[in-house]
Amino acid sequence: MTEQRKALLLGSLGILGFLALWEAVGQGRWLGLSWPPLSAVLALLADENRQPLFARALGATLSSLGTGYAIGWAAGIGAAVLAHLVAPLREGLERTNAFIHAVPSVALAPLLILLVGREGTPATLAALNTFFILYVSTASGLGATQPALRDLVQVLGGSRWTRFIRLDLPLSLPTVVSGMRLAAPSALIGVIIGEWFGAPRGLGVLVINAMQNFQIPLLWSAVLLAVMVSLSLFAILGALHRGVVARLR
Amino acid sequence: MSAVLRALRASWGILAILLFWQIWVGLSGVNSIVLPGPAAILRSLADAPGLYLSSTAQTLALAALGLVLGLLLGAGLAVLTWFSSLLAGLLTPLGIIFASVPVVALIPVLARIFGYDMRTVLAIVVIISFFPSFVFTGAGLRALPPGSADLFRVLGASTWRRLTLLALPAAVPDMSVALRLAAANSILAAMVAEFLMGTSGLGYLFAAARSDFDMEKALAASAIATVISVTSFLLASRVENWAARNWR
Repeated sequence: MTEQRKALLLGSLGILGFLALWEAVGQGRWLGLSWPPLSAVLALLADENRQPLFARALGATLSSLGTGYAIGWAAGIGAAVLAHLVAPLREGLERTNAFIHAVPSVALAPLLILLVGREGTPATLAALNTFFILYVSTASGLGATQPALRDLVQVLGGSRWTRFIRLDLPLSLPTVVSGMRLAAPSALIGVIIGEWFGAPRGLGVLVINAMQNFQIPLLWSAVLLAVMVSLSLFAILGALHRGVVARLR
Repeated sequence: MSAVLRALRASWGILAILLFWQIWVGLSGVNSIVLPGPAAILRSLADAPGLYLSSTAQTLALAALGLVLGLLLGAGLAVLTWFSSLLAGLLTPLGIIFASVPVVALIPVLARIFGYDMRTVLAIVVIISFFPSFVFTGAGLRALPPGSADLFRVLGASTWRRLTLLALPAAVPDMSVALRLAAANSILAAMVAEFLMGTSGLGYLFAAARSDFDMEKALAASAIATVISVTSFLLASRVENWAARNWR
């Protein structure tokens, strides 16, 4: 058996073990009624009567996530490129971004409701989270070009712009894509917190309502859906990352 | 003079935001119930510092304790998987999966399980700090300098010596990355948890002030959390740089 297959087998065993433990804790009520068995959560997710509810919530969350992620992605890369090309701006931009990122989302959400409305708040928080991670990863990717390669471009008479397009930008791709992967769960957190502050629909709304109304299996189903969204995005972007790294090495 | 210029160069963005906010509040004439300016928030902080002190101390203590516990547990489990490749194979994929789960979404679930009190806030911070620590320490323990593992084997070093003299020192830079990732998050996670569960601390102060329409107080509480979060991020970045310089 090769190393890789062994790792795959053991990893699947670990995950199966975790799922079995989840089911057992729920069946045996070891943690009380607040921990439903996996089968009950899955049954609720598969329940036909609940499908429209889940579909509506998932649709709203995904559309906020998509909008916010796209805006944050473009703005984050744009700001990092600007900081890379205009050196005097760099330090200030970095500080400002770290500062904005450190403002607690729960504190930003009420302000955003004022500025962009209840519907726009989840997407805006997602955009802010995505922006920060894309900014940091793009900036570090652009700055990581080996000095020898830069010298080469200069010796061959390349302008700064040539260096940027031909050298820094392509070499930063793996770091940027790795940032895109990290940004996905972070953007989803932004959407969910934004929804907690009174968005009309979405997974976050479902979670908070279920929590307040003691609908335990519904709560777990909504959380599980959110986790699945995050993991799928993480897996897709992880595959993209592997592809980019393989292409550039 | 040059010090002032340097400070200005580093923080022009933050100053611009605060200035714009103050002017916008002044010009648009929004009610302070809706949105007070930064000056009013500062005044509210300066008027009654005692009001914020106990909440801040509590949230800070919970976040710090949770951070330390989570990092230690994560590193401890990573060391256990270093001893046993079976355990490593079983747990590493799970750890990576959990590290990419939006943990904030789990807060309502954990609140239901542990009850609405401080222990849940602590548990959430522990969980948030645990996974980065587990994943990064685990990777660091295995990313040894080339040739060093062979050297230890040739010299007949025991497993324990290989751990304490080779693998753990090699993992220090990676552990410091986990610290940076978790440090700024721990205080924010503690605040979200307190906000949702309405127990006590900064998050509760924020929630209570907001429902009293005392926005100055609410935003002052978030300003404190922001400052703590930025400070811990900067400190952790400094630790990370130090570790990268001295342990590689």
